Amino acid sequence: MEIDAVSLTAVTKSFGAVRAVDGLTLAIPRGQTVALLGPNGAGKSTTIGMLLGLIPPDSGKTAIFGIDPGQAVRQGLAGAMPQEGGLIPRVTIRELLTFIAGTYRAPLPLEQVLALAQMTGLENRRVDKLSGGQAQRVRFAMALVGDPDLIVLDEPTAALDVEARREFWNGMRTLTGRGKTVLFSTHYLDEADEQADRVVVVDRGHVVADGTSTDIKKIVALTTVSVTAVGEVAWLGDLPGVTRLEVRGDRVHLRSADPDATVMALAQAGAVRNLEVTPADLEDAFVALTAKETV
Amino acid sequence: MFGYIRLELLRTIRDGGFIIFGIASPVVMYLVLSNLALAPGDKHAGAIVTMVSMAAYGALGGAFNNGSGIAEDRAAGWLRQLRLTPLAPAQVVSGKVITGVLGVVPSIAAVLLTGVLVNHVTLSAGQWLAIVGLLWAGTVPFSLLGLGNGYNLTGQTAAMANIAALLGLSIVGGLWVPTAGFPGWLRAIAEWTPSNSYAALSWDVASGTAPGPRAIAILCGWLVVFGLYARYGYRRAGRTA
Ligand SMILES: Nc1ncnc2c1ncn2[C@@H]1O[C@H](COP(=O)(O)OP(=O)(O)OP(=O)(O)O)[C@@H](O)[C@H]1O
Ligand SMILES: [Mg+2]
Repeated sequence: MEIDAVSLTAVTKSFGAVRAVDGLTLAIPRGQTVALLGPNGAGKSTTIGMLLGLIPPDSGKTAIFGIDPGQAVRQGLAGAMPQEGGLIPRVTIRELLTFIAGTYRAPLPLEQVLALAQMTGLENRRVDKLSGGQAQRVRFAMALVGDPDLIVLDEPTAALDVEARREFWNGMRTLTGRGKTVLFSTHYLDEADEQADRVVVVDRGHVVADGTSTDIKKIVALTTVSVTAVGEVAWLGDLPGVTRLEVRGDRVHLRSADPDATVMALAQAGAVRNLEVTPADLEDAFVALTAKETV
Repeated sequence: MFGYIRLELLRTIRDGGFIIFGIASPVVMYLVLSNLALAPGDKHAGAIVTMVSMAAYGALGGAFNNGSGIAEDRAAGWLRQLRLTPLAPAQVVSGKVITGVLGVVPSIAAVLLTGVLVNHVTLSAGQWLAIVGLLWAGTVPFSLLGLGNGYNLTGQTAAMANIAALLGLSIVGGLWVPTAGFPGWLRAIAEWTPSNSYAALSWDVASGTAPGPRAIAILCGWLVVFGLYARYGYRRAGRTA
């Protein structure tokens, strides 16, 4: 059996009365790209901190490539970008990255890292004189420069605009194409869906769902179609695509996996009154995912 | 670890605080004080005593500034970033201590050179060697106190504590104004300070006598105290970083 890149077994961490991570178990095989998806305060950063050996867990086991995380980091097997910080004043990007590279046995060439992080041409700029997005890329470059097999990124695209985000993921795909294992956290469902092989949803320190992006897509594609009810409505539940029917006041809310078909059928039946189509939001996704977990 | 020391030295020489407290202020004060001839004895002897005092003051400035840097690094998440590289924590600490020790060299050199070039101080080669060596090695306790503050206190507080320690130790230790002019009670305190013992070693050498065992013992005592303080802070910071 191949050793997992990441292995967390029933890890728990409390800060005072707050249970940040509560018995979380997660195994990531080599080469997978995994998104850790969850709302603010879900315990993503704490989980990542424990995985990297920065935060000692209260209980449970952590390992990177089968060894103690601290040791794995020391051997250059893992590189990481924390949610914030890590930049120092009075040095240039080149000086900073050259130093970090020098601590690893087989780092990537500087030019390649600059290209991957979309920073070519910026290398002689002072780190303290960068925009938020540029600083974020430097932090990303610090995680990559040692050419580690496991790359852990805590909200890597938080400060990036749409274009930069796209470029960022292009760079990442170059790396995953080389067999790297990637774990990243995000608040964005789309990002998790598009970029990850597997999405792990965490909430209140627990894993509430764990599946491929296709699995997740199926569940979260649940769109709500609602119309004003007239008379008997139970039959609406049998329309194509509808998975759930709910009546609130005079409105009928239909959860649909195929909203086009549902709307078409409503029209044919002459039941379109004050039609509203609402795509699933993150909240719905969590609800759907949590529901799935308990079935 | 070489790379780490190199990077930290680069940051040090680009640091305004270091230039002001470590180099500019001691050199300027040296020029002013030696020409006011506040030190006892003739002008040439006064220039030598003040030169040692100001070199000591500059070295302290460099050492404390290095300690404030640690608090800054901690606040910036830099120490956490270093923990995510293959560098061992012990390498990071030793790197920082070595940076502190190397960082005082320009301060000492700047004042001694000013002494030679501007005030025409003359000493035997052996005396120069001994003074440079003692001024240099003697900064270790102060580096540790500075690092201890950097690890124990947060950002601004650490910087304030280090500046207060620098000024307090310099003044009470008799680096600015010789303790000969102090009231009796203050002189009694001065004789127990690490800064006074530190400078006394080199004052003795400059005046042609061997450094006293009392000064050596006091400085070593403080070395142990500050070393424990720094170690305590380092451990505490490690738990919260
Ligand atoms: N050092 C700490 N001291 C006290 N409480 C903490 C600490 N770190 C995290 N917490 C608490 O633990 C919980 C989980 O925090 P964590 O930072 O892991 O969440 P997150 O999923 O990363 O959130 P975000 O999306 O906002 O980054 C939160 O309730 C947070 O307030
Ligand atoms: Mg977080």
